[in-house]
Amino acid sequence: MIARRSFLAGLAAASLPRVAWAEVGSPACLAAGKWGDDFVLHGLSAAGESLFRIALPARGHAAAAHPVEALAVAFARRPGTFALVIDCQSGAVRHRLTPPEGRQFNGHGVFVVGGAVLLTSEVVAEGSAGRIGVWETAGFRRIGEWDSGGIGPHDLKRLPDGRVVIANGGIQTDPADRSKLNLPDMRPNLTLLSDSGQMLDQVELPADLRQNSIRHLAVLGDTIAFAMQWEGDPALPVPQLGLWTPGSPPRLCPPEETDAMAMQGYAGSIAVSPAGDMIGLTSAPAGVLMLFDAKGTPLATHRRTDISGIATLSGGLVATDGQGGIWSVGTKGLTLLTQAETLWDNHLIALT
Amino acid sequence: MLRPLTLGPLMLCLCLATPAMADFPETLRQHILPGYAAFAVATADLAQAAQQDCDAVALRPAFQAAFDAWIGVQHLRFGPVEVDGRGLAIQFWPDPKGAGAKAQRGLLLDDAAALTPDHMAEQSVAARGLSGLERLLYPADPLPADPCALIRATAADLAQTAQTVNDAWLVGYAETLLTAGESGNTTYLTRPEARQALFTQVITALEFLQDQRLGRPLGTFDAPHPERAEARASGRSLVNIRLSLHSLRAMVATLSPDVPKTMAAFDHAIALAEALDDPVLAGVATAQGRLRVEILQQAVTALRDTALAELGPELDVGIGFNAADGD
Repeated sequence: MIARRSFLAGLAAASLPRVAWAEVGSPACLAAGKWGDDFVLHGLSAAGESLFRIALPARGHAAAAHPVEALAVAFARRPGTFALVIDCQSGAVRHRLTPPEGRQFNGHGVFVVGGAVLLTSEVVAEGSAGRIGVWETAGFRRIGEWDSGGIGPHDLKRLPDGRVVIANGGIQTDPADRSKLNLPDMRPNLTLLSDSGQMLDQVELPADLRQNSIRHLAVLGDTIAFAMQWEGDPALPVPQLGLWTPGSPPRLCPPEETDAMAMQGYAGSIAVSPAGDMIGLTSAPAGVLMLFDAKGTPLATHRRTDISGIATLSGGLVATDGQGGIWSVGTKGLTLLTQAETLWDNHLIALT
Repeated sequence: MLRPLTLGPLMLCLCLATPAMADFPETLRQHILPGYAAFAVATADLAQAAQQDCDAVALRPAFQAAFDAWIGVQHLRFGPVEVDGRGLAIQFWPDPKGAGAKAQRGLLLDDAAALTPDHMAEQSVAARGLSGLERLLYPADPLPADPCALIRATAADLAQTAQTVNDAWLVGYAETLLTAGESGNTTYLTRPEARQALFTQVITALEFLQDQRLGRPLGTFDAPHPERAEARASGRSLVNIRLSLHSLRAMVATLSPDVPKTMAAFDHAIALAEALDDPVLAGVATAQGRLRVEILQQAVTALRDTALAELGPELDVGIGFNAADGD
């Protein structure tokens, strides 16, 4: 594995910045959305102002932002047959990524090794066994793949020390129509991989919560905050937030009893405030944003129809909704930053 | 106990200011505010009756009237009812793990003197409200202690919650809805957002009818669950379905004057519900009875689809861009 590591490190040196983010206005984050009948990707300032808008050929799922170059990777909605590497200066599609035969992208990707490598969450189409696609980013060629450690991986994040954490959602889907095939038997997990893809640690949820699909992640120091979507009886109150510090068991963080059903069992996006003192979770179906402190204690519940994207920007947490609103998030409430004509899609991607 | 405020000056001025038409201000004036006012009155009457005589059988008519009034507004799950879990504190259902009965048992065995309304307001939402009262007024098994103090405290707490919700509408949230789109309104940035909020209530309520009120007792063909029907002990399972359909139809009529297919679909579902002779949906466990409940469920599903296809475009709104899209 030393060989693989030095190979990845070597790629970092080979990959020189082409167009830097500063040349497209230094956006704080990327947000996809619908503008009229068109699907678009915006670069946004920390104040929610649009700095650029480029066309997307179809509605995307999530995007990954290159840490240095003005490049975004937009993943097709599942079944994910392609991903597009988009030049955020010209709007041109630089590369079209296609997973190997029998693989499908599963919605998320993350740049690692200073942007030299792109990791993509993928499934083996038949059976939904998880894979992590490994791509070099000089020419966006696939250079390998890792086992994700579970079924149906969705979000994945890089920890500050280079390790990679994966939310294996546990759901086996039909390769053609995405129908869910294994809900009674699903077993989501969190898997920690080394920077060369070796499994370092893995945890599952208690047996009565195995229908809580772990789907989205945020990093809080050496702890991973994870957001879940409940596939069991909707009348059962279950937590949407969990915290995992590798080496110890995951901790589940339920809301107050009065808000136990507020999220409708669904957390769509998660982010941690820059100071590390707040974790924000959104539920678009419920129109709810919940805030917790770093220990997972509930702080506040805010309502906004179709609120979904949430990201950590320099000034604090920012959230987007499906009516075009961009909101600054605080414990006392949501403060409108801007309202655009673009209906914001489910994720807001911070540039870090 | 004082009767809650009902038709205040705000309502009067709203009535005079707007010509006859259909849009969300009419929904507010003709449906939402009268509904919450009636619920506050009915729960105040129940609390007063309980204070006078906590005999379970004697209290049942007032309980039924309060539940009727709740179903007039139960489908409205936005605004004041969302705060502090008030909706759950009014009715905690479904409750698949029996959390309400467990929490209530402790209260029943507690010192009766501690059961003040303020104390009740701090208890688990599962133990409170109509679901809590139903277990005390229609006990399946003899109760382990005299329920009188808990009946009084639960009824008083319910009336207090109903009044709080009604007051919050009258003194704040009605204005928030009416001023949708005006500068300074950070809840509804545009008037279409207010329409969408009400449209979402209708669609979500029809889904609740389909999946919960009908779907829970139906279970599957091999495993029906008649014991999961809503308000079974008080014999209200079908009444709640009928009243809910009537309430939703009335609400839609205030939202738009021109949705004939939706109205016809309401009428069809209401006719099926009225014709059903199965008060607690016990028939789901038999082949014939099950078929009749399934036909009603299908009519509710068709009604929801019709409302999505007709009422949504008529109001120029849909369900949320992200809410409609699983991730």
